[in-house]
Amino acid sequence: MDKLEFFYVTYIATTPEKLWTALTSAEFTRQYWFGMAIESDWRVGSSVLYRQEGEITDRGTVLTFEPPRLLSYTFHPVLDEEMRRERPSRVSFEIEPLGGKTEPQGQAVRLTVTHDDFPPESKVFPRIRAGWPAILSSLKSLLEGGKPLSAACR
Amino acid sequence: MTKPETVYVTYIAAKPEQVWQALTSGEFTKQYFFGRRMESDWKVGSPWTLWMEDGRVDCQGKVLESDPPRRLSMTWHVEWMEEFRRLPPGVVTFQLDALGDVVRLTVMESHHESIDEKYKEGGRRGWPVILCGLKSLLETGRPLPPFDMSA
Repeated sequence: MDKLEFFYVTYIATTPEKLWTALTSAEFTRQYWFGMAIESDWRVGSSVLYRQEGEITDRGTVLTFEPPRLLSYTFHPVLDEEMRRERPSRVSFEIEPLGGKTEPQGQAVRLTVTHDDFPPESKVFPRIRAGWPAILSSLKSLLEGGKPLSAACR
Repeated sequence: MTKPETVYVTYIAAKPEQVWQALTSGEFTKQYFFGRRMESDWKVGSPWTLWMEDGRVDCQGKVLESDPPRRLSMTWHVEWMEEFRRLPPGVVTFQLDALGDVVRLTVMESHHESIDEKYKEGGRRGWPVILCGLKSLLETGRPLPPFDMSA
Protein backbone atom coordinates (compact mmCIF):
# COMPACT_ATOMS: atom_id res chain seq x y z
CA MET A 1 0.00 0.00 0.00
CA ASP A 2 1.17 3.52 -0.77
CA LYS A 3 2.21 5.63 2.17
CA LEU A 4 -0.51 8.11 3.07
CA GLU A 5 1.41 11.29 2.51
CA PHE A 6 0.55 14.15 0.21
CA PHE A 7 3.58 16.03 -1.07
CA TYR A 8 3.38 18.95 -3.50
CA VAL A 9 5.87 21.52 -4.69
CA THR A 10 4.96 24.71 -6.47
CA TYR A 11 7.04 27.65 -7.68
CA ILE A 12 5.52 31.11 -7.45
CA ALA A 13 6.82 34.47 -8.68
CA THR A 14 6.33 36.35 -5.40
CA THR A 15 8.09 37.09 -2.11
CA PRO A 16 8.05 34.88 0.99
CA GLU A 17 6.23 37.64 2.89
CA LYS A 18 3.40 37.91 0.37
CA LEU A 19 3.00 34.15 0.24
CA TRP A 20 3.00 34.00 4.04
CA THR A 21 0.18 36.56 4.18
CA ALA A 22 -1.76 34.58 1.58
CA LEU A 23 -1.51 31.44 3.71
CA THR A 24 -2.43 33.05 7.01
CA SER A 25 -4.98 35.77 6.22
CA ALA A 26 -8.65 34.83 5.89
CA GLU A 27 -9.14 37.72 3.46
CA PHE A 28 -6.64 36.07 1.13
CA THR A 29 -7.62 32.46 1.63
CA ARG A 30 -11.24 33.25 0.78
CA GLN A 31 -10.09 34.48 -2.62
CA TYR A 32 -8.03 31.49 -3.77
CA TRP A 33 -9.42 28.71 -1.55
CA PHE A 34 -12.78 28.86 -3.31
CA GLY A 35 -14.48 30.82 -0.51
CA MET A 36 -12.82 29.14 2.47
CA ALA A 37 -11.75 31.45 5.30
CA ILE A 38 -8.88 30.07 7.40
CA GLU A 39 -9.08 31.81 10.77
CA SER A 40 -6.61 31.75 13.65
CA ASP A 41 -4.61 34.10 15.85
CA TRP A 42 -1.66 31.91 14.78
CA ARG A 43 -0.12 31.33 18.20
CA VAL A 44 1.32 27.87 18.65
CA GLY A 45 -1.42 25.86 20.35
CA SER A 46 -4.24 28.12 19.13
CA SER A 47 -7.09 26.71 17.13
CA VAL A 48 -7.49 27.05 13.36
CA LEU A 49 -11.01 27.27 11.91
CA TYR A 50 -11.97 26.57 8.31
CA ARG A 51 -15.14 28.48 7.59
CA GLN A 52 -17.15 28.27 4.37
CA GLU A 53 -20.20 30.51 4.10
CA GLY A 54 -20.21 30.92 7.88
CA GLU A 55 -20.15 27.22 8.60
CA ILE A 56 -17.13 25.58 10.24
CA THR A 57 -16.06 22.68 8.03
CA ASP A 58 -12.66 21.77 9.52
CA ARG A 59 -10.64 22.55 12.62
CA GLY A 60 -7.01 22.37 13.62
CA THR A 61 -4.36 23.46 16.10
CA VAL A 62 -1.28 25.54 15.26
CA LEU A 63 1.89 23.43 15.59
CA THR A 64 4.57 25.66 14.05
CA PHE A 65 4.51 29.35 13.23
CA GLU A 66 7.81 30.75 11.96
CA PRO A 67 7.11 33.59 9.50
CA PRO A 68 7.85 33.64 6.63
CA ARG A 69 9.30 30.12 6.40
CA LEU A 70 7.41 27.42 8.26
CA LEU A 71 3.78 26.91 9.12
CA SER A 72 2.08 23.75 10.30
CA TYR A 73 -1.19 22.85 11.90
CA THR A 74 -3.36 19.82 12.49
CA PHE A 75 -6.35 19.23 10.23
CA HIS A 76 -9.62 17.71 11.35
CA PRO A 77 -12.78 17.74 9.19
CA VAL A 78 -15.83 18.16 11.41
CA LEU A 79 -18.79 18.33 9.02
CA ASP A 80 -18.82 14.77 7.74
CA GLU A 81 -19.65 12.28 10.50
CA GLU A 82 -17.26 9.58 9.29
CA MET A 83 -14.35 11.97 8.81
CA ARG A 84 -14.99 13.58 12.18
CA ARG A 85 -14.31 10.24 13.88
CA GLU A 86 -10.86 10.09 12.30
CA ARG A 87 -7.99 11.54 14.33
CA PRO A 88 -6.48 14.82 13.04
CA SER A 89 -3.79 14.75 10.36
CA ARG A 90 -1.06 17.37 9.90
CA VAL A 91 -0.37 19.90 7.16
CA SER A 92 2.93 21.75 6.79
CA PHE A 93 3.98 24.61 4.53
CA GLU A 94 7.61 25.38 3.85
CA ILE A 95 8.57 28.55 1.98
CA GLU A 96 12.05 28.90 0.44
CA PRO A 97 13.18 32.07 -1.34
CA LEU A 98 14.96 31.39 -4.65
CA GLY A 99 17.49 33.97 -5.65
CA GLY A 100 16.31 35.57 -8.88
CA LYS A 101 18.86 36.94 -11.31
CA THR A 102 16.76 39.98 -12.17
CA GLU A 103 15.75 41.18 -8.72
CA PRO A 104 13.60 42.84 -7.53
CA GLN A 105 11.14 41.82 -10.29
CA GLY A 106 12.69 38.38 -10.46
CA GLN A 107 11.73 37.00 -7.08
CA ALA A 108 10.43 33.46 -6.85
CA VAL A 109 9.72 31.10 -4.00
CA ARG A 110 9.37 27.36 -3.68
CA LEU A 111 6.36 26.31 -1.61
CA THR A 112 6.36 22.73 -0.37
CA VAL A 113 3.13 21.42 1.11
CA THR A 114 3.21 18.17 3.03
CA HIS A 115 0.02 16.69 4.44
CA ASP A 116 0.63 13.53 6.44
CA ASP A 117 0.09 11.69 9.72
CA PHE A 118 -3.05 9.95 8.50
CA PRO A 119 -4.35 6.76 10.08
CA PRO A 120 -4.37 3.66 7.84
CA GLU A 121 -7.55 3.44 5.69
CA SER A 122 -8.02 7.19 6.09
CA LYS A 123 -11.20 8.61 4.51
CA VAL A 124 -9.77 12.12 4.72
CA PHE A 125 -6.63 11.40 2.70
CA PRO A 126 -8.27 10.87 -0.74
CA ARG A 127 -10.23 14.09 -0.26
CA ILE A 128 -7.23 16.24 0.54
CA ARG A 129 -5.11 14.61 -2.18
CA ALA A 130 -7.70 15.57 -4.78
CA GLY A 131 -8.20 19.05 -3.31
CA TRP A 132 -4.74 20.51 -2.77
CA PRO A 133 -3.48 20.90 -6.38
CA ALA A 134 -6.46 23.10 -7.36
CA ILE A 135 -6.13 25.24 -4.20
CA LEU A 136 -2.38 25.70 -4.63
CA SER A 137 -2.76 26.40 -8.36
CA SER A 138 -5.35 29.06 -7.54
CA LEU A 139 -3.01 30.56 -4.93
CA LYS A 140 -0.26 30.82 -7.56
CA SER A 141 -2.68 32.45 -10.04
CA LEU A 142 -3.78 35.02 -7.45
CA LEU A 143 -0.26 35.98 -6.39
CA GLU A 144 1.11 36.20 -9.94
CA GLY A 145 -1.79 37.56 -11.93
CA GLY A 146 -4.11 39.05 -9.32
CA LYS A 147 -6.91 36.60 -10.15
CA PRO A 148 -7.64 33.23 -8.54
CA LEU A 149 -8.98 30.25 -10.50
CA SER A 150 -12.73 29.90 -10.85
CA ALA A 151 -14.47 27.41 -8.57
CA ALA A 152 -15.60 25.44 -11.64
CA CYS A 153 -12.30 23.58 -11.60
CA ARG A 154 -12.93 21.93 -8.23
CA MET B 1 6.16 -0.53 -17.41
CA THR B 2 4.42 -0.06 -14.10
CA LYS B 3 1.84 2.53 -13.07
CA PRO B 4 3.06 6.14 -13.21
CA GLU B 5 5.50 6.84 -10.42
CA THR B 6 5.80 10.55 -10.87
CA VAL B 7 2.52 12.43 -11.19
CA TYR B 8 2.14 16.17 -11.07
CA VAL B 9 -1.15 18.04 -11.38
CA THR B 10 -1.63 21.74 -12.02
CA TYR B 11 -4.67 23.84 -12.92
CA ILE B 12 -4.27 26.57 -15.53
CA ALA B 13 -6.63 29.39 -16.49
CA ALA B 14 -6.40 28.78 -20.24
CA LYS B 15 -8.07 26.90 -23.05
CA PRO B 16 -7.00 23.29 -23.67
CA GLU B 17 -5.79 24.31 -27.13
CA GLN B 18 -3.46 26.91 -25.59
CA VAL B 19 -2.04 24.39 -23.11
CA TRP B 20 -1.56 21.87 -25.92
CA GLN B 21 0.30 24.43 -28.01
CA ALA B 22 2.45 25.42 -25.04
CA LEU B 23 3.44 21.77 -24.54
CA THR B 24 4.12 20.94 -28.19
CA SER B 25 5.61 24.06 -29.76
CA GLY B 26 9.30 24.88 -29.45
CA GLU B 27 8.55 28.60 -29.47
CA PHE B 28 6.65 28.10 -26.22
CA THR B 29 8.76 25.42 -24.56
CA LYS B 30 11.98 27.42 -24.91
CA GLN B 31 10.38 30.04 -22.64
CA TYR B 32 9.64 27.73 -19.70
CA PHE B 33 11.45 24.39 -20.28
CA PHE B 34 14.99 25.44 -19.27
CA GLY B 35 15.41 27.06 -22.68
CA ARG B 36 14.76 23.81 -24.54
CA ARG B 37 12.82 23.54 -27.80
CA MET B 38 10.37 20.69 -28.28
CA GLU B 39 10.01 19.53 -31.87
CA SER B 40 7.83 16.95 -33.62
CA ASP B 41 4.90 16.68 -36.04
CA TRP B 42 3.13 14.93 -33.13
CA LYS B 43 1.75 12.09 -35.24
CA VAL B 44 1.59 8.67 -33.63
CA GLY B 45 4.85 6.86 -34.38
CA SER B 46 6.75 10.05 -35.22
CA PRO B 47 9.96 10.97 -33.42
CA TRP B 48 10.14 13.99 -31.12
CA THR B 49 13.21 15.85 -29.90
CA LEU B 50 13.90 18.22 -27.04
CA TRP B 51 16.76 20.46 -28.20
CA MET B 52 19.16 22.25 -25.90
CA GLU B 53 20.03 25.88 -26.67
CA ASP B 54 23.48 24.89 -27.96
CA GLY B 55 21.99 22.45 -30.49
CA ARG B 56 22.60 19.25 -28.54
CA VAL B 57 19.78 16.76 -28.03
CA ASP B 58 18.53 16.68 -24.44
CA CYS B 59 15.83 14.02 -24.78
CA GLN B 60 14.04 12.22 -27.56
CA GLY B 61 11.53 9.49 -28.21
CA LYS B 62 8.48 8.42 -30.20
CA VAL B 63 4.89 9.60 -30.03
CA LEU B 64 2.66 6.85 -28.63
CA GLU B 65 -0.68 8.68 -28.43
CA SER B 66 -1.71 12.06 -29.82
CA ASP B 67 -5.24 13.27 -29.25
CA PRO B 68 -5.16 17.09 -29.35
CA PRO B 69 -6.03 18.86 -27.12
CA ARG B 70 -6.64 16.07 -24.63
CA ARG B 71 -3.86 13.55 -24.38
CA LEU B 72 -0.27 13.20 -25.53
CA SER B 73 1.91 10.24 -24.66
CA MET B 74 5.46 9.50 -25.70
CA THR B 75 8.47 7.37 -24.97
CA TRP B 76 11.14 9.46 -23.25
CA HIS B 77 14.85 8.83 -23.52
CA VAL B 78 17.45 11.10 -21.95
CA GLU B 79 20.37 11.50 -24.38
CA TRP B 80 22.62 14.23 -23.10
CA MET B 81 24.10 12.34 -20.17
CA GLU B 82 26.12 9.21 -20.86
CA GLU B 83 24.79 7.50 -17.75
CA PHE B 84 21.19 7.92 -18.91
CA ARG B 85 21.77 7.01 -22.54
CA ARG B 86 22.04 3.29 -21.87
CA LEU B 87 18.78 3.12 -19.86
CA PRO B 88 15.53 1.82 -21.36
CA PRO B 89 13.16 4.70 -22.25
CA GLY B 90 10.39 5.83 -19.93
CA VAL B 91 6.91 6.98 -20.89
CA VAL B 92 5.60 10.50 -20.30
CA THR B 93 1.91 11.30 -20.71
CA PHE B 94 0.17 14.68 -20.59
CA GLN B 95 -3.55 14.59 -19.83
CA LEU B 96 -5.61 17.78 -20.28
CA ASP B 97 -9.08 18.01 -18.73
CA ALA B 98 -11.23 21.08 -19.38
CA LEU B 99 -13.09 22.15 -16.23
CA GLY B 100 -15.05 25.30 -16.97
CA ASP B 101 -12.52 27.94 -18.02
CA VAL B 102 -9.66 26.05 -16.36
CA VAL B 103 -7.54 23.15 -17.61
CA ARG B 104 -6.35 20.45 -15.26
CA LEU B 105 -2.99 19.34 -16.61
CA THR B 106 -1.67 16.02 -15.32
CA VAL B 107 1.81 14.79 -16.14
CA MET B 108 2.56 11.14 -15.56
CA GLU B 109 6.00 9.58 -15.85
CA SER B 110 6.51 5.81 -15.89
CA HIS B 111 9.75 3.89 -15.91
CA HIS B 112 10.92 0.43 -16.77
CA GLU B 113 10.91 -1.67 -13.60
CA SER B 114 14.68 -2.08 -13.73
CA ILE B 115 15.34 1.65 -13.40
CA ASP B 116 17.13 2.71 -10.24
CA GLU B 117 15.44 5.34 -8.05
CA LYS B 118 18.24 7.85 -8.59
CA TYR B 119 17.32 8.22 -12.27
CA LYS B 120 13.78 9.28 -11.37
CA GLU B 121 14.93 12.28 -9.33
CA GLY B 122 15.24 14.54 -12.40
CA GLY B 123 11.56 14.13 -13.26
CA ARG B 124 10.40 14.46 -9.69
CA ARG B 125 12.28 17.72 -9.23
CA GLY B 126 11.96 18.98 -12.78
CA TRP B 127 8.27 18.65 -13.67
CA PRO B 128 7.02 21.02 -10.93
CA VAL B 129 9.46 23.73 -12.11
CA ILE B 130 8.56 23.20 -15.78
CA LEU B 131 4.80 23.13 -15.29
CA CYS B 132 4.79 26.06 -12.88
CA GLY B 133 6.66 28.01 -15.55
CA LEU B 134 4.15 26.94 -18.19
CA LYS B 135 1.24 28.05 -15.98
CA SER B 136 2.87 31.43 -15.27
CA LEU B 137 3.55 31.96 -18.98
CA LEU B 138 -0.01 31.18 -20.08
CA GLU B 139 -1.69 33.15 -17.31
CA THR B 140 0.53 36.22 -17.06
CA GLY B 141 2.53 36.25 -20.29
CA ARG B 142 5.75 35.82 -18.32
CA PRO B 143 7.54 32.61 -17.35
CA LEU B 144 8.95 32.20 -13.84
CA PRO B 145 12.05 34.32 -13.18
CA PRO B 146 15.29 32.36 -13.56
CA PHE B 147 16.56 30.77 -10.36
CA ASP B 148 19.00 28.17 -9.20
CA MET B 149 17.06 24.93 -8.83
CA SER B 150 19.52 23.48 -6.37
CA ALA B 151 18.96 26.41 -3.98
